[in-house]
Amino acid sequence: MSAPPIKIALFQCRWCLYSPEDQAWVDNDLPENIHLVKVPCTGRIDPLFILNAVQGGADGVMISGCLPEKCHFKEGNLAARRQLAEFGSFLDYIGYEQARVRFVWLDLQDRGRIQQELTAFETTLETLGPAQALATRASAPMGGADE
Amino acid sequence: MNELETKIRAEAERLLSEGLVDVVIAFRQEDAPLHPQPAFFTQVEELESLTYNGMCANNLANYLTRYPQETRIGMVVRGCENRSVNALIVEKQHTRENLVLIGIPCEGILDWRRIVALTGENVLSVEEKDDSVIVHTRENTFELLRIELLHPSCQRCLHPNPLSADILLGDPKPEGDPHLMRLRIEALENLSLEERNAWFRHEAERCIRCYACREACPMCYCTECFVDHTEPRWTESGVTPAGMQAWHIIRAFHQTGRCTSCGACERACPMDIQMTYLTDKLNLDMADTYQFEVGMDAETQPPFATLTLDDKNRFIAQGK
Amino acid sequence: MNYRLPKKVLIQTLNAWAEQAEVFAPQKREGYAQFLPWEAGNELLLDEPHNTRFPPKAFFLPQSETLLTYNRKLSQLEMPALQISQRIIFGIRPCDARAVALLDTVFATADNPDPYWQTRREQTILVGLGCSEPATTCFCTSVGSGPFDHAGLDALLTDLGEAYLVETFTVRGEALFANLASANANDAEQAGTIQQQASALLEPAFTTDGLKEHLDQIFDSYLWSEFAQSCLGCGICTFLCPTCFCFDIVDEAQRDERVRNWDTCMFRVYSLEASGHNPRPTRAERTRQRFMHKFSYWLEHADQFGCTGCGRCVRYCPVGLDIRAMIRKAAATPSEAVHVN
Repeated sequence: MSAPPIKIALFQCRWCLYSPEDQAWVDNDLPENIHLVKVPCTGRIDPLFILNAVQGGADGVMISGCLPEKCHFKEGNLAARRQLAEFGSFLDYIGYEQARVRFVWLDLQDRGRIQQELTAFETTLETLGPAQALATRASAPMGGADE
Repeated sequence: MNELETKIRAEAERLLSEGLVDVVIAFRQEDAPLHPQPAFFTQVEELESLTYNGMCANNLANYLTRYPQETRIGMVVRGCENRSVNALIVEKQHTRENLVLIGIPCEGILDWRRIVALTGENVLSVEEKDDSVIVHTRENTFELLRIELLHPSCQRCLHPNPLSADILLGDPKPEGDPHLMRLRIEALENLSLEERNAWFRHEAERCIRCYACREACPMCYCTECFVDHTEPRWTESGVTPAGMQAWHIIRAFHQTGRCTSCGACERACPMDIQMTYLTDKLNLDMADTYQFEVGMDAETQPPFATLTLDDKNRFIAQGK
Repeated sequence: MNYRLPKKVLIQTLNAWAEQAEVFAPQKREGYAQFLPWEAGNELLLDEPHNTRFPPKAFFLPQSETLLTYNRKLSQLEMPALQISQRIIFGIRPCDARAVALLDTVFATADNPDPYWQTRREQTILVGLGCSEPATTCFCTSVGSGPFDHAGLDALLTDLGEAYLVETFTVRGEALFANLASANANDAEQAGTIQQQASALLEPAFTTDGLKEHLDQIFDSYLWSEFAQSCLGCGICTFLCPTCFCFDIVDEAQRDERVRNWDTCMFRVYSLEASGHNPRPTRAERTRQRFMHKFSYWLEHADQFGCTGCGRCVRYCPVGLDIRAMIRKAAATPSEAVHVN
């Protein structure tokens, strides 16, 4: 009896992987349990995106973006850092562990790091187990939700 | 008619008769004994019906965003309402020069549900007399203690005195104890993850998506709310768990750094959902992380609107 | 046929019913009365002057209901037949039962019945509890109903103190009580007095003679803008209303389901058209719509008001708008009052 595969939602800023090999790996060889959403900047990530992934059953959400002073759009990742960090903390408050929301801020010398981060993240999530708390995208029961 | 009402009417009369404002926003006692109505006075003759008492449960700043910025508005504001007005000015939703704020140091709003729990529903009138509240019902008369009827948000109120009123009517009240709000949130934080989740699901599941919380909130003024956005559609519109939970999570989060903890959302909710446990937590985080408290002036931008490179040392590489 | 139900056998009666059907009865949860499944050992809440907070229309028109599921990849569609077991709703107030009967004129029409509504309706028996002491927010008598109205009910209980007088109106209602002793003349007389006293407690809220015609005449009045000033435009009045029935059908694309949800004319997006045009662009038009629908258009459709005076909108409006006072004000508004744009 094997455990169900850990599901990870990866929101990747399209500028943060400086190495073409890394980007090619993410684009073509990403393991099946990792769902990629590429964004033009981490500043584009609305908490709704993360919540949607979580409600859909993501056991973990990784956000990979550029270092604060290296944002392609100058300040996008600064907005992301404040809002999404607080959102991760808020999700913990209502029952989705903060450790399931991980930020990776990448720089020129971080080639290969994305694979390592994902592997490490998967290990952490395996310890935490599948996320039940907010994975609520369940059907309205046939027969309705009456009171 | 109480003394404060007389003073408010006098000031409103002055503002209208001297042509200093186009409208005075206050309250009026209409037909529901437990719910005075927000009222919009444009003529001096109408002011006879102006009322102000502890049953005035709505945040009047909510109505500011219904008016064009050129409208000159006189408005009764208590502590939280003044802060909401400041927050709206920071967000450029109105212009301070076009506002005349009639400040009332607030003794707290009476929670109609607490009254009804003690007296039954057939309330005919509610009068306040010093520390007591006299309630006449069809069957009986009750004398209750004011302090026991306060709405929970008012019990935890930090700033009952309007900060930037043009005129202050009434004696200033002591500032609130910040520990009270913190204690409530810490009690929740100290529960286990599963218990917190259970509480969240429990409070969310009786939601009927009436959006009274949103409509009562001065800071919810978007012409298109995220729940009404259709391309793409992020949130389910019905009473499925995903829909109700997303509504609570995201509405609270959109209030981060904007909510003054006035409690108007809770007072409006027909299902008695105590959703301030979400916004109060976010407000505390803003205070702890950014030393920010909304509405204390009309200039300071909220944390999510102030981006600085100094943040790079604030958050570590992984996790937060 | 009238029966006498001693209060000391009420619980065992409910328990006996619960062996054959799903029984729902008013119980307290979260601090207020709700219709909840009845299980032996639960506690009834029958002595509140007013009805439950959430309306029992939800038993027939759930707030969210999956109509069908589909699989886009396989181009398949599934609409399983609705399975509803037999249900007994005990303790429903006459205003709410009458509302269900009113909604039958919408959903249970001869030429185009709604199968979801119909199935539930057919499987449900309504046993009413009349209101001996209506609340100050009740106004059923002003809209052609009353605290002991029979409309929509299979049976109606009147509280006599130690027992209930049970009046049955349908075969199904009769079957539930047939094993009880018949009511005697005293019971009937006592019930009559109680019912009269209850009606007397309800002061007329407004006159309805000529109300529809007058409302039609003041359609363009400035009055509606005045009402709209404090109205929040939330959905409390419409969602808690036992006769409101508007719904929206959406495809939940992330779950491949088509769902019907309650909708409300109070929301701006309710009448917003795909072009961007909104025939009810401001709160004034939307607030007006509620009045026109309940007190004018319903008469055109069913020759009855679309309001049963249950009082929920009065109790829970966050800004204290009282529909009774608003009708009185509308009735007093001259039809020459000009609409100021």
